[in-house]
Amino acid sequence: MFDLEMTEDQKLVRETVASFARDEVRPISRDCDESGHVPPALAEKGFELGLIHSALPEDVGGFGEQRSAVTGAIVAEELGWGDLSIALHLLAPRLVAYPLLDAGTPEQKKRWLPAFTKRFQPAGAAIVEPRYDFDTLTLATRAKRSGSNWVLDGSKCFVPLAGDADVLLVFAQTDAGPQAFLVERGTPGLTISEREKNMGLKALATHEVELKGVTVPADARLGGEDGADVARMVNLSRIAVAGLATGVARGAYEYARDYAKDRQAFGVAIAQKQAIAFMLAEMVIEIDSARLLTWEAAWKLDKGDDATRECVLAKRYASNAALKVTDNAVQVLGGHGYVRDHPVELWLRNARGFTNFDGLAIV
Amino acid sequence: MKILVPIKRVPDPQTNIAVKPDGSGIVTDNVKFVINPFCEIALEEALRVKEQQGGAEVVLVSIGPKVTQEQLRTGLAMGADRAMLVVAEEELDPATAATVLKKIVEAESPDLVLAGKQSIDDDANQVGQILASSLDWPQATFASKVEFSADKKEVTVTREVDGGLEQVAFALPGIVTTDLRLNEPRYASLPGIMKARKKELKEVPLADYGVAGAAKVKTHKMAPPPKRSAGRKVETVQELVGLLHTEAKLI
Repeated sequence: MFDLEMTEDQKLVRETVASFARDEVRPISRDCDESGHVPPALAEKGFELGLIHSALPEDVGGFGEQRSAVTGAIVAEELGWGDLSIALHLLAPRLVAYPLLDAGTPEQKKRWLPAFTKRFQPAGAAIVEPRYDFDTLTLATRAKRSGSNWVLDGSKCFVPLAGDADVLLVFAQTDAGPQAFLVERGTPGLTISEREKNMGLKALATHEVELKGVTVPADARLGGEDGADVARMVNLSRIAVAGLATGVARGAYEYARDYAKDRQAFGVAIAQKQAIAFMLAEMVIEIDSARLLTWEAAWKLDKGDDATRECVLAKRYASNAALKVTDNAVQVLGGHGYVRDHPVELWLRNARGFTNFDGLAIV
Repeated sequence: MKILVPIKRVPDPQTNIAVKPDGSGIVTDNVKFVINPFCEIALEEALRVKEQQGGAEVVLVSIGPKVTQEQLRTGLAMGADRAMLVVAEEELDPATAATVLKKIVEAESPDLVLAGKQSIDDDANQVGQILASSLDWPQATFASKVEFSADKKEVTVTREVDGGLEQVAFALPGIVTTDLRLNEPRYASLPGIMKARKKELKEVPLADYGVAGAAKVKTHKMAPPPKRSAGRKVETVQELVGLLHTEAKLI
């Protein structure tokens, strides 16, 4: 009844993504944070790894890999361990490609998916709205029928890579609940503002997006007349965010643990002091708990169940765990944790966002 | 062209290794195992040759415990065409490993054997050379560049030797062992991992090669290297020169 053993393929996937995170992502994460950019060459390397197109169908140029939320959570954890900004940048094209894969009409897939199989294709989803009572499933951005067209009005924020994207997936409220719309760059009424200046995630370009009377044809609605299961998309997004949060936390814990074993005070390594040892133990418990909740939720989604409850718990728990663990990591390093010579302050700034944003990634 | 790439399963060079208290080996619990880095470079080179020449076949072979499947799967995911594992639970000495490889080379008749110059566990640096000599094939070790003639019948290898670079050329078939600066191995891609599932991974028991009791080298005991002792600070240059003369006897 119970088995948490990864499949052979999952082990290989984890190993290759972990090597990529260790050798390619970590070494440049500080520079990316300072410069505010992810080098295009790295985005291309991430693409070549198959992060986007391995799951896309063969007839559009992908490899037709069976997608799994559990494998997605494993990949997210390893990339989050490398660097959260870079991870979100590398995974951003999924925000358009995966909903298209799950809910797109054959025509929509044929039109939009091939671009995602050729090279790194900047794209993002516009979900979050700049208002205090934001709720993913009750949006203030409206989509109204006008003849055969849809007219979109509203404001969005935290839209990743919006400045470079050819197409955004905009979530808006219809009479039948929230739905998603493919909106091309340059559509009249669509305004993409300057980059947001965020506390963390500094390497990730996010933008506010304004929609004023943006008119799109009927076939811009994801899934056409049938529409799309937005609730399931939101759940898949929660798994991605929970996996990333687990990875951020694990990275910070490992750094603090190694530091504590090395740093001498009063003649012993500080890891020998209970005040530090207890803190490290708490950090591990948080991380393992977050991972187990995430894997359980992902497993239920893979079975096809409605896993909203589990996804909410996983995302909420992992978000809090990432904040707590990165904060503790800064504390373990003491004064050294607060200076930029060590990465823990960067990880704390990045982790702070988990409880503020939504829908920045999807599995 | 057919290229045979022997690979070895070794502890990840990025992990800390501890010697068992009784000196019989290293502690393997919680140690990650990987493809020996030099073997990985050899595989990468073989894959590049395959991509450049088209139509080449890259065959992986390893001798090791059954779990070595993991490393062969990784190699297949990187792009090798098929793999073969000689299942041996005991570690083989270089000469015995070369004897097994010789029989595999005779059966497969590759145009080229591309191997790592040494494995990072025992650093013997012998298998490629012994294999070449027992097959009476030409060899080029410590390769930092490998180039083929237009008719693909000859290979020119740039070798890293003491004091510079040396170029050697020979007609195939032959053996090339790779140095660190030859290339940077690729990552196994996610689609590559998926494709690897369908590739052949054949297992053969060591007994089929009739090398029982052939080992010439036996490991008696392992010990960690001595801890480096702390340095000393001196007040003046004269004092340092004096100590180098009287104590270290270097000048």
